[in-house]
Amino acid sequence: MEASLIAENIAHIGSFPITNSILVTWLITLILSISAFFATRKMQAVPTGLQNFYEMIIETAYGVVEDLAHTRAKVFFPYLMTFFLFIITANWLGLLPGFGTIGLNEIEDGKEVFIPLFRSVNSDLNTTLSLALISLVLTHYYSVRYLGIWGYIKHWFSLNPVILFVGLLEIVSEFTKLVSLSLRLFGNIFAGEVVLSTISSMFAFIVPLPFYFLEIIVGFVQAAVFMMLTLVFMVLLSEKHVEEH
Amino acid sequence: MEILNQFGVKPILLLAQIVNFIILLLVLKKFLYKPILRILEERKEKIAESLKNSEEIEKKLAQILESRDKKLEEAAKESKKIIDEAVVSANQIIAESHEKALEQTQKMIAKSEEQMALERDKLHQEIRSELADMVALGLEKTAGKVLTTKDKEELAKSALKDFKS
Repeated sequence: MEASLIAENIAHIGSFPITNSILVTWLITLILSISAFFATRKMQAVPTGLQNFYEMIIETAYGVVEDLAHTRAKVFFPYLMTFFLFIITANWLGLLPGFGTIGLNEIEDGKEVFIPLFRSVNSDLNTTLSLALISLVLTHYYSVRYLGIWGYIKHWFSLNPVILFVGLLEIVSEFTKLVSLSLRLFGNIFAGEVVLSTISSMFAFIVPLPFYFLEIIVGFVQAAVFMMLTLVFMVLLSEKHVEEH
Repeated sequence: MEILNQFGVKPILLLAQIVNFIILLLVLKKFLYKPILRILEERKEKIAESLKNSEEIEKKLAQILESRDKKLEEAAKESKKIIDEAVVSANQIIAESHEKALEQTQKMIAKSEEQMALERDKLHQEIRSELADMVALGLEKTAGKVLTTKDKEELAKSALKDFKS
């Protein structure tokens, strides 16, 4: 088995190509939605099981968001929590044994090629890039909402040439955010996939275990990093500047 | 944009992921975050409230204990006062009744003495008149004459004079 850089097509609906990462994205959405539904179907004052599990996660995450965003926490929280839950579920789902090995052999260009049915979604740049896009759009949307359109523009442009230059640099850095957010996540998870498949193909027993543990940690860390960075960007851009020159 | 192609980035796939994320966001918002954040908030309020309540209860309990102690002390003081007063008044009553009894007995003694004196006088008088009669009778017998009433009286008078002296 060989990890390819591009998600493979497994089907078409009209002209819409369904790649294996799209399929897994739907799977993740389904898993999260159903578990969320069951967690809150019968809310109890004394939580048990799934409700307790989600309460623990949400309480911790909300605490983190509230510490940084204060009054804006309630608005920002759903996006950040969804980033975290989606990314961590995706990462850990991709680590399930045999996840990438279920597939079909198809003839392509006269050669038999293995097409896996599932793919760790964050090892597809489409997924991470779209997440980064959402993150960036949200950041700027809330910046405009909290600062007003004039405050938002003032953040980037000024008549003072030095500050104007800094503002231009910051505009560039906004695009860097997009690249760094998407490529960090993609790189980590894709590299993990490659490492795991390489090690597994070299020696299938015991030896890959430490790498699996490593990938479990990486999966969590990347989800947390994505969430935290988005949170920090949102907070920074939606904060009123105290020192007006 | 060549690099994006190499990574297999297609606008339609990006759009699909974005739409999917929005769907997931809405579903989780409705079914997960809202109910759980609400219940967390409720629980926080409840805990704060019960903490406040318990504090109040403790305060009240302390107050009650304090007032109970105060009341007990007061009651003890009062009962002591009452007992003291009772002892004093009892002593007084006893003394008074003692005095009264003494007085009464003295009165009674005086009265009976008086009565006795009266009785004695009466007895004396009776004896005297009897004696006078007897004397008169004796004189009659010896003198042999009947004394007139005047004589009798005279005799009696003289006899009495003798008797008295």
